[in-house]
Amino acid sequence: MQLEMPSGGPFVAISSDWLVADMTVESIELGYELSTFPHPRFERPLIVSIRDSRLLSSPPWVRSLGKLDLHVQTEAWKFPAPPPEFDRPPPPRSERAPETITNRQVVDLPEWPEDTESPAEPKRRIRPRPTRDTVVFKDRLLFLLQPPLDGLFQGRSLGVPFEPFPYQLEGIAFLMPRHAALLADEMGLGKTAQTILSLRLMFHQGMIRSALLVAPKPLIHNWCRELKLWAPDLPFEVFPTDPELRRATWHVSNCPLKLINYELLTRDAELAADPRTFFDVVVLDEAQRIKTPGSKTASVVKSIPRARSWALSGTPVENHPDDLINIFEFVDPGRIPPNTPPKQLKALTADSILRRTKQQVQSDMPPKLIRDLTIELTPAQQATYTLAEKEGVIHLNALGETITVQHVFQLVLRLKQICNFDPRTGESAKLEQLVNDMEEVAANGHKAIVFSQWVEPLAAIARALERFGPLQYHGRIPHAERIPILDRFKNDPNCQVLLMSYGTGSVGLNLQFANYVFLFDRWWNPAIEDQAINRAHRIGQKHPVTVTRFISVNTIEQRIATILDTKRKVFNDLLADADKPATLGLTEEEIFSLFDIEARPKRNGSPPDPQASQTCH
Amino acid sequence: MAVIDTQESAASQLPPQPAMTELSGNLGFLSIIHDPSGLLGGYLVTNGWGRPLEFRISTAIQPNRVQQILYGPTLTDYLYADLIGKALVEKSSTAVGMVIVDQPAALPLRRRVDVPVVCISPAPLQLHEPDTEKPQEYVSLTHPRSSVPLRWLASHASDQPLIEAILAKVDPSLDLSEPFTRVREAIGEARKLGGIHRAA
Repeated sequence: MQLEMPSGGPFVAISSDWLVADMTVESIELGYELSTFPHPRFERPLIVSIRDSRLLSSPPWVRSLGKLDLHVQTEAWKFPAPPPEFDRPPPPRSERAPETITNRQVVDLPEWPEDTESPAEPKRRIRPRPTRDTVVFKDRLLFLLQPPLDGLFQGRSLGVPFEPFPYQLEGIAFLMPRHAALLADEMGLGKTAQTILSLRLMFHQGMIRSALLVAPKPLIHNWCRELKLWAPDLPFEVFPTDPELRRATWHVSNCPLKLINYELLTRDAELAADPRTFFDVVVLDEAQRIKTPGSKTASVVKSIPRARSWALSGTPVENHPDDLINIFEFVDPGRIPPNTPPKQLKALTADSILRRTKQQVQSDMPPKLIRDLTIELTPAQQATYTLAEKEGVIHLNALGETITVQHVFQLVLRLKQICNFDPRTGESAKLEQLVNDMEEVAANGHKAIVFSQWVEPLAAIARALERFGPLQYHGRIPHAERIPILDRFKNDPNCQVLLMSYGTGSVGLNLQFANYVFLFDRWWNPAIEDQAINRAHRIGQKHPVTVTRFISVNTIEQRIATILDTKRKVFNDLLADADKPATLGLTEEEIFSLFDIEARPKRNGSPPDPQASQTCH
Repeated sequence: MAVIDTQESAASQLPPQPAMTELSGNLGFLSIIHDPSGLLGGYLVTNGWGRPLEFRISTAIQPNRVQQILYGPTLTDYLYADLIGKALVEKSSTAVGMVIVDQPAALPLRRRVDVPVVCISPAPLQLHEPDTEKPQEYVSLTHPRSSVPLRWLASHASDQPLIEAILAKVDPSLDLSEPFTRVREAIGEARKLGGIHRAA
């Protein structure tokens, strides 16, 4: 058989296996020797092994798909727990006492109709934020995870008598995260409430376990009253006057909040500086008390071992560099280097100072705000008062059926006069506080009116307030001089206070350029008081008016105030038109109920009008 | 031939529920966010009026392509409920009466924990029952403590008395949707400080 050779060549027959029988082959002379052709791919022997998967595991034949399982790790932070007394469940709503407004009055303003066309803006939440110098992550987390303050006090757990204003919530948000803070709001904006609510929240959060509040002696009782109002669940105690009991309060008592006045604190300098006496926060009220460098008060205050230092002051301390430096020696020692130029003070302290004026927050505030300031009598006043009341009641009971309202009236008036000034020594706790408040009013560039039902106190007040340019306006001022006095009060910046009696100052005057009204002593009829207040609070008043009513604690004034507040509520509920005051003076029975008097007059006809016997002008 | 009562068998498979008087008033708020580093969760435990008790955060996790293929439609359920949610809730040392989530995908966590799990997301819930194409059914409840209706799995409809009892203990000042803002802020803060590392 002839092989048909394809074209090309040469062709080499490697094996004869494919040759079949009957196949003839013709040899062809190639002209060269056959040899094997080495090929790099087959240099090493091909040994196939199932266990050897190097080929299969080597790229580019295969590539890794990565791990198939998934897992996570977690990290946690636990936050401090409050003491057990602050961790109780809230009372059911039905068991809570009915809400009563005790010392705040708000004018009911007409409300604008809701705008349904424009989209509702999201509600701005007010929350404490970590400060810039909070670097520990857990500390920053603690404040980032706090609930918003707005709305927090509407619940059952942290109920308050009335909701704080938005700017007050911002004040709380300012205080809570700060170890060094100066709250310098204008007088009347509620520094006391903001401080109390901040402390209360921090106790509930477990952030603090002990606090010390230092305040002027006349204001200690007021702080007690405000604490019961804003933080009824916060236990507190006042340092007693007895030295041994005071020592026990310093070292033994575990009451969370302690109150002391500057005078007692100065006497207990060694106890206060003892390292065993440590407070998580120390609060100074009227912090300008320590503005005098080198004073013992300042020295003692700065020596108290503490973690947080808060100061409260109504004066614009940032305008007085020396005062600011001295206060910051307590608030944050070392923050202000020696010989720091005044221009650099603001940059160094801005983060630790919060100051709001009435003008700034007037949109949040009601146009008129009344605050009751309870004042403790001086020791001399208290001794005179106690003796006078005791002797007076004995005398009244001795009158038997011949007693009349007039007799009781006379005792009431006498006691009220003692609450104003001690007749023997001339001391006046109210006047001390008034002078203090006028410092703030004047420093803020505002004007004030002071009302009293007597002329003699106005003269004494004028002498004490001499540096504020006081003017007097009462019945003993000749009529021809009255209008020039009012003009001068309005136009002269050096005349910052006007002293008026209820009779002459209550009607027909427009004094809407005064932002502060002080009721040195109170009138029988709440409507007459409102007329006096409304001399400043009128249409045209640009700023909210703060009315301060001085009330001497544990005296006839406090008992009268309770009755008058009840009558005022009735007045507000029934008579919206305040131009015509209703006759809401004290009734005969109410007057007799002011004392523990058993005697009662014979009933013959209608009781006399108490207002007719007032010796006022 | 015995007939199995499906309702009884279903009930017997549910974990035992605590008595009403033993309910913890604490609440757990679970939020899972998706960012470029992956999925990560934050879990905040508060008391009845919102005071923070504990905060827990997970590492970020980003499934790769193979995992996405292998887990398929079960991936979301697995990540949200099994992996992140369960880890955060179970490792927490503070007991809660209820877990609130802000994404429906975390609702299946209820099958892994012993407390009710409710969702407050206003978004439509579009989940499927496990291993099926059947849409998941939900129970809805409107309550003053929440600005949006609360929803949970219909398979745990019996949680309703528990949920209502727990909500009755919550302070009126607390809106259940508000704490999620805090959780997200805290997660952001942790990321800024580098507190979260990505896990494989």
